[in-house]
Amino acid sequence: MALAVEAAQSRHLPGFLEQFALRSTRMLDAIWGGVAVYRGRETELHAISGGPTTEATTDWLISRARASQNDVEALPIPKEIAATLPFAEEPGVVVFVRIAASDNERLGTLFLIRNRKSLSADQKRLLHALASHAALSLENFRRFSQLERSKRQWVEDIDAISDYIVVHDRAWNIVRTNRSLASHLGVSPVALVGEAMSSLRQIAQTGSDLPCPFCRDTRRPKEEYVAASAERIFLVSTSRTPGLSDDDTRTIHVLMDITDRREAERRYRELFDSIQEGLFFATPDGRFLDVNDAMVRMLGYASREELLRADVSPHLYPVPEAREKFMRTLSERGVLRNYEETLRRKDGTLLHTLQNITAVRDSRGHIAQVRGLMLDVTEQKTFQSQLQRERDFNQKILNTTQSMILVLDTAGLISYANRRCYEAGYQEGELIGHRLVDWVEASHREDFDAALETTANGHQVENLELRVRRSDGSMGHFSISLSPMRDEQNAVNSVVVVMTDITDAALLQAKLAHSEKMATIGRLVSGVAHEVNNPLAAILGFTDLLLENPEVSMSAREDLQIILQETQRTKDIVQDLLSFARQRPVQREPVQLNGVLRQTIKLRSYDFASHGVEVVEDFEETLTAALGDSQQLQQVFLNILNNAYDAVQEAGQRGRIRIHTRRQAEMIEVAISDNGTGIIDPQRIFDPFYTTKQVGKGTGLGLSICYGIVRAHGGEIQCWNNEAGAGSTFVVRIPVATEAALAAATTKEARP
Amino acid sequence: MNAQQALWTGGPILLIEDEPSVIAFLRAALERRGYAVVNASSGAEGLQRLSNGRFAGVISDIRMPGAVNGAEVHGWIQKNRPELRTRIILISGDTANSDTQAFLAQSGTPCIEKPFRVQQLISMVEKTFGKP
Repeated sequence: MALAVEAAQSRHLPGFLEQFALRSTRMLDAIWGGVAVYRGRETELHAISGGPTTEATTDWLISRARASQNDVEALPIPKEIAATLPFAEEPGVVVFVRIAASDNERLGTLFLIRNRKSLSADQKRLLHALASHAALSLENFRRFSQLERSKRQWVEDIDAISDYIVVHDRAWNIVRTNRSLASHLGVSPVALVGEAMSSLRQIAQTGSDLPCPFCRDTRRPKEEYVAASAERIFLVSTSRTPGLSDDDTRTIHVLMDITDRREAERRYRELFDSIQEGLFFATPDGRFLDVNDAMVRMLGYASREELLRADVSPHLYPVPEAREKFMRTLSERGVLRNYEETLRRKDGTLLHTLQNITAVRDSRGHIAQVRGLMLDVTEQKTFQSQLQRERDFNQKILNTTQSMILVLDTAGLISYANRRCYEAGYQEGELIGHRLVDWVEASHREDFDAALETTANGHQVENLELRVRRSDGSMGHFSISLSPMRDEQNAVNSVVVVMTDITDAALLQAKLAHSEKMATIGRLVSGVAHEVNNPLAAILGFTDLLLENPEVSMSAREDLQIILQETQRTKDIVQDLLSFARQRPVQREPVQLNGVLRQTIKLRSYDFASHGVEVVEDFEETLTAALGDSQQLQQVFLNILNNAYDAVQEAGQRGRIRIHTRRQAEMIEVAISDNGTGIIDPQRIFDPFYTTKQVGKGTGLGLSICYGIVRAHGGEIQCWNNEAGAGSTFVVRIPVATEAALAAATTKEARP
Repeated sequence: MNAQQALWTGGPILLIEDEPSVIAFLRAALERRGYAVVNASSGAEGLQRLSNGRFAGVISDIRMPGAVNGAEVHGWIQKNRPELRTRIILISGDTANSDTQAFLAQSGTPCIEKPFRVQQLISMVEKTFGKP
């Protein structure tokens, strides 16, 4: 291929060399001659006609020529070579003449086959001259071919460029075009040479009035501008160089088709601006270099230009320290993902943003530019913090309430329990995933299940009072409310249960209400008794005075006796009332309740025996002493015994009263049970004036006085109807007389 | 009993009581037994009479409306009429009152509780002031 190119480029060199060989052969009276030209390892042989016919002879000749290093050298031709030569005359020697370039590089060898005559001095000089001439010619040929080659290469390169290239002269005529431009017009490059530049107007125009559609200002050595046709857009780079003559100028236009790039740019800008997220390019100190429309909108500016103004940035960053920290982090990492930054809008309101940022560094590694994408999360942020606040608030309520709050699924399984549940001693493992109903007392489970079903059907159940097992196994009295909780489709998907242990509350409230009632009645009774006593004193006194009067008749005396009796009875009632209201301090001393009870029974033993009422003493014999007033306690027991006696009498069967004493914790408990008629309303029995007895048989104050006495002792009195269905039981609890209690009682008494 | 009777020095009994019906009854009962009676219808009036006159003894209600009650009459006598110190009978309509109880227990003053029989009154008066 290289040889083929060589041959094509140096078309005239073989002819010249053959001519030279012929002339040299004639001038030196030789039989035959030629020139070997060296191109690297290759050797080209250019000889006159009638030379050797065998390849071996030619090879011998070439190898000898290459081996010859002297300027002129004569070599005898061996007989076997001579035999192959087709010459009529006998060949004697071959003369080699070195052809060297000016830098002494050997370019080739001239060889001449002669007879055996040696060369004369003139002939040798002639050979030197011929060699010099050949060297000069060869050198010229070589330079020319190099020039030709590089010129062709340049044209090929120009042609290979896809940009359009056109060169024109001062007369606006085309000097050259490259193949790209010519093929755009559908002609060969040569065809355009000499044509007017105006013929290229169809490609594109800059809009100037000049004959060249690509020229604008011919005085400038370089120009760059955009020229466009209907379809294409070109970036035209123009350079002007002096031409071959002084008054000529060559203008070279390079037209780069930037249609696609322009389109890409346009699309990029369109995308940049149509994106709803903010996009920005900024300097490291926070000034925006370019922003999209979304950014302008987000920050509340009227235009991009306004936002890009340098004096905007101080307003933009409300916390400059945060900005410094941000830059440090960005400098370390190069990229920041989901970075939260608060910016200030034009109107001063705050904008919460979420940003993804990339740092663009210069060659020294410093941040040259900051690029990023920005989301407006103000709404989310506000919503989120609101949600958080609400959640915190609800959590606080859930955790600080004194009620147990549980969430059940519609199957009744516990899915959530608030902190209070665990504070009450329940374990997470025994609540979560378990049925709440299992904690409810067996007899109440039906009620609970019914309530759960009602709630699952969308109705609220309020203040259901059930007995529920506590974490320690004891049963408590609970107030339970159930509310349905609905999903987005408004279907009930769970039930919120609020449970409050009201055992203590119920008891305390009942006790409080009762003692308050007692105190009020006490004050009332005391006042009434006092007021009644005055007129009573007068009635009684005057009745006595009348009875002393001998003038009063017998029948009048009888009437007066009745007045006397009734006054006495009224006095008793008032005494009862006063006993009830009595605020006399209780004597505090150790009292053996068994003994007090035996004495009390003795008081009524006659009645019991005569009416067949059996009294069973079930006493704990080693009973600890109680602390109290034996007289008052006897009054209490007597009262209860009287009631029991009346109750068994009324029942009409064989009466039985059982008295049981025992110590329970710090209390002495006395339980008096009978098999009588029972109590109609055990809750009201300690209320003053509540009586089941016939009118005139009792004042209805007895048990309320008992209540007052027991309470004054720091004890308790309760009663209920026996479960067996017969009679009732009264329980009195009086504190044990411990050393401490005794000491406390003494101190109290000693106080003035 | 004889020693107490010897205490009788004559002069009326001062009766301090705010209830008219009770005053009437007491006056009647005492006068029939031969005692002279002067009555005051309040504690303050009682003290006024005590300041200006001589009495064989004082019978006073404990609870009375006004500034001076029976306990205060008792106190005044202890201080200003030593000769009457043991010649006081108190009448109470409400011995249930703890203040009254405390006062009675502390002073050891005889007290008669309303309502009472004439005989109860007379025996206490004779015991305390002696017979007229």
